[in-house]
Amino acid sequence: MLQARRHFGSFDWVLLLAALAMSIIGLVVIYSATSGTPSSGAFERQVAWLGLGMLALVVVLAIDYHTLSEFSYVFYGLGIVLLVLTLIFGRVVNASKSWIGLGTLQFQPSELVKIATILMVAAYLGREKVRGLGFANFAAVSAIVGVPVLLILQQPDLGTAVTFLPLLAGACFLAGIRVRTLVILALIVALTLPIVWGHLKPYQKERVKIFLEPTRDPKGAGYQLIQSLIAVGSGGVAGKGFLSGTQGQLQFLPEQHTDFILAVLAEERGFIGSGLVLALYFVMFYRCVATARAARDRLGSFLAMGVACVYGGQSLLNIGVVLGILPTTGVPLPLMSYGGSCLVSSLIGLGLVLNVWMRRLVN
Amino acid sequence: MSPSRQIWDQRDYLEERRLSVRVTLIQVLFGAVMAVYLMTFWYLQVVRADYYRRLSDSNHLRRVTLIPHRGLIADAEDRPLAGNRIAFNVRLDREKAGDPSALLPTLGRVLGMGEQTLRERLSRYRSRPSFEPVVLKEDVDLREVAYIESRRLELPMLSVGIESRRDYPHGALAAHVLGYVGEVSEEQVRKDVQGEFDLGDVVGRAGIERQYDPALRGAKGWKEVVVNSHGREMQEVGEGRQPNPGRALRLTIDLDLQAALEEAYGEEQGSAVFLDPSSGAVLAMISRPAYDPNVFARRFSQDVWQTLVGDPRHPLQDRVSLSKFAPGSVFKIVMAIAALEEGVAGPGRIDHCNGSYRFGEKVFQCWGIRKGGHGWIGLREAIIQSCNVYFYRLGNEMGIERVAKWGRLMGFGSPTGIDLPHEEGGTVPDPDWKRRAVPRDPTWHPGETISVSIGQGALEVTPLQMAVFASILANGGTVHRPHIVRSREAREGVEEGAGDEAVVRTLTLQPSTLALIKDAMWGVVNEAGTGVRARIEGHDVCAKTGTAQVYRVSRDIDADKLPKDKRDHAWFVGFAPRDNPQIAWAVFVQNGGHGGTVGAPIARAVLERFFAKRDLTGGSVRVAGAPALR
Repeated sequence: MLQARRHFGSFDWVLLLAALAMSIIGLVVIYSATSGTPSSGAFERQVAWLGLGMLALVVVLAIDYHTLSEFSYVFYGLGIVLLVLTLIFGRVVNASKSWIGLGTLQFQPSELVKIATILMVAAYLGREKVRGLGFANFAAVSAIVGVPVLLILQQPDLGTAVTFLPLLAGACFLAGIRVRTLVILALIVALTLPIVWGHLKPYQKERVKIFLEPTRDPKGAGYQLIQSLIAVGSGGVAGKGFLSGTQGQLQFLPEQHTDFILAVLAEERGFIGSGLVLALYFVMFYRCVATARAARDRLGSFLAMGVACVYGGQSLLNIGVVLGILPTTGVPLPLMSYGGSCLVSSLIGLGLVLNVWMRRLVN
Repeated sequence: MSPSRQIWDQRDYLEERRLSVRVTLIQVLFGAVMAVYLMTFWYLQVVRADYYRRLSDSNHLRRVTLIPHRGLIADAEDRPLAGNRIAFNVRLDREKAGDPSALLPTLGRVLGMGEQTLRERLSRYRSRPSFEPVVLKEDVDLREVAYIESRRLELPMLSVGIESRRDYPHGALAAHVLGYVGEVSEEQVRKDVQGEFDLGDVVGRAGIERQYDPALRGAKGWKEVVVNSHGREMQEVGEGRQPNPGRALRLTIDLDLQAALEEAYGEEQGSAVFLDPSSGAVLAMISRPAYDPNVFARRFSQDVWQTLVGDPRHPLQDRVSLSKFAPGSVFKIVMAIAALEEGVAGPGRIDHCNGSYRFGEKVFQCWGIRKGGHGWIGLREAIIQSCNVYFYRLGNEMGIERVAKWGRLMGFGSPTGIDLPHEEGGTVPDPDWKRRAVPRDPTWHPGETISVSIGQGALEVTPLQMAVFASILANGGTVHRPHIVRSREAREGVEEGAGDEAVVRTLTLQPSTLALIKDAMWGVVNEAGTGVRARIEGHDVCAKTGTAQVYRVSRDIDADKLPKDKRDHAWFVGFAPRDNPQIAWAVFVQNGGHGGTVGAPIARAVLERFFAKRDLTGGSVRVAGAPALR
């Protein structure tokens, strides 16, 4: 009992407060980006989602992560079932069948499947007391990540599918993938890619080309890229001020409250604002890594690193798109972008990390 | 502790170490990418901030041109001749239309238009930004406006736009005086160095609308507006500049006289001008066939334009100042003045007309009133009877140089200087002219002098020059520059009252000459002359008829039975009243036959209106002294 109290005393307030700060900054920018647009009302909905997310975080925190890990098969299985149901009964938004509704509540199961997959991968690798990752282990991890990714690609939601890849890469790297396995993998990819490309339909090829080279589509992806750069650059050092960003307010910026929310913040708050956001993401990532180091077992380490890879990777992907460094993928910025599923999933992920930190000293 | 356990622990420890190293590597990777991002933010937001600020401004700030109201044109008594009205256009919002070509059948049905026409109108806007609406149908009536507005839900891409449109309330009345407006030509925009014109601007294309276009057009204003990504105006920024409305013009045209002239002219082709002889102010002016200038105010007037240009009767041609014809017998007045002023003949000179004049090999006919000619005839009678032989001989005695000199003094051979965009100067032939103009036969033949003496040959005058000539006779020798716009400031850029109305020159004619001419012209109308049909009791109308030959007819053919386009052109030129004349005119009827038959009744109708109005107002209807507009 005494120990338990001590654990709660060593709660990682820095991570929690950074996450809360990030979510609140996100709310403010959502308010600014949607006021007077057809998406107004997004702010109120996001406040509700934040409350729900905090509740989920507390629930995840209260249950020992070892217990959660034991049920990871159940969560994962449920997640796969949900994804299949989504493909059958899902609602089509932006030409992608990724939403499922429970009454008035709409959410993207793919976001929750991220958590289940992190748990599943950690549970699998946490148990393996082997040096290095053999081909069989690698195949198993790939399957765990691959099944939901393939299902999500069917929706099709390329962006969300891509956010699973850092988990696969991070997990394999941490588990110590052998050079031999990597070579075989590279060979397989090099051999199958041309065959796959040959079987793609012309419109699919075009999509891939646009993904790699946005200027091919100046009205779509290229336009977004240009408008995003204008928004960020015109913000200057101090920004144009709250509700004064013309790129966002006048809707030159597409997806201004979801995928390009950081551009709106950069325009209204300038370099000071964007620097602060980068700092907050860095702090959160750093705390996750610190948790992974301090975790009392491999399961804890892999859980914390899984969360760090998925959400850290997603953040880097999103910011890279906003800055025009990476091709447009349609990935939301964790904690900041509008969207309940992503916010709740990010908070649950952080709940897992807090869980590991809190129980790091228990035998 | 067993050794195996120890080994296990050692492996465990090593694995822990490796894991820690890998965690550090991932951390470094993340940190490195973050550092790159931070530098990118710094580059975009600090180094390149000004550049992106400019891009952002040009993204959302748009300069909108404000078009001023075009100046109104009113008659001498401020009755509107040209104004502006609101027109409703049905417009297509291409941003809401999706693929417009798929909509064409529906739109064609709703608007009652052919798909081909709609497609053409759409294609005009291909290079324009998509927020700019396409005008599909213009100037629709209120019924159609209501029809479109009530279908907002089914057809959200259609809207009704409002624009100002030039309006000529009297239609074709005074069409060639007013002219018309149209969209500025691409060439005009190209040549426009001051940036006054934008494509689509409405400018004056003919008549007063063109001559005074800079004043009527006013000065454009502008405002800067914030637009959203759809190009919709969100708010105005700053002051901008208000447009300066176009200047209103008051004309010297009297709507009452103009209406009387239009009515009296009937279906004839030709032209007529009525002037105030004391100032050169144009009181009424007509050119027929006319056109309705309202059709040019429309956006899609191409087909109408083609119809008018292709019309063999040339309705766009201003027959007052651009068409040149032989003056016919009217020129005998010039001959008489020349002879009297040059001392070639005295007022009492008498001559014998036996019906023809033999000059060398050629025989020149007198006109065939009766066989045997006019017999012994004096100058006054020769004018009244319009005896050709008398003037053949007079011209031969005088020589072409003196004839041409007096022709030019009377304003022929050069433009009158009226405030219209184009004007012809006509021709007063002499040996000099012939050398230059007819290189294949450069010598002047004395026989040509004979032709010119009765107003034929190479002699060509415009009806406007004829009216100026009539007003010189009326006012006793002052050559005014005729004008249509009343305010001198608008016309010449000088302050009101800064000297006389533009006087081109003043001729010093002997009073006896003037008296004889006036008396003879009075006789043409009031004795048994050729112009009796213009006679108005108590108003002493003075005039001279003339006939310009189109087709040489022998005296056996009845001219009235010729096909219309082979008949002679008819002149009726004069002034009234004889003492202190207040109105001077030239009526010209193309293929009208004889001036006394068709010209005189037209002049008479206008004069009756003129005198009725003068008697009603109890004095002069002179407009020159009245206060000008603005």
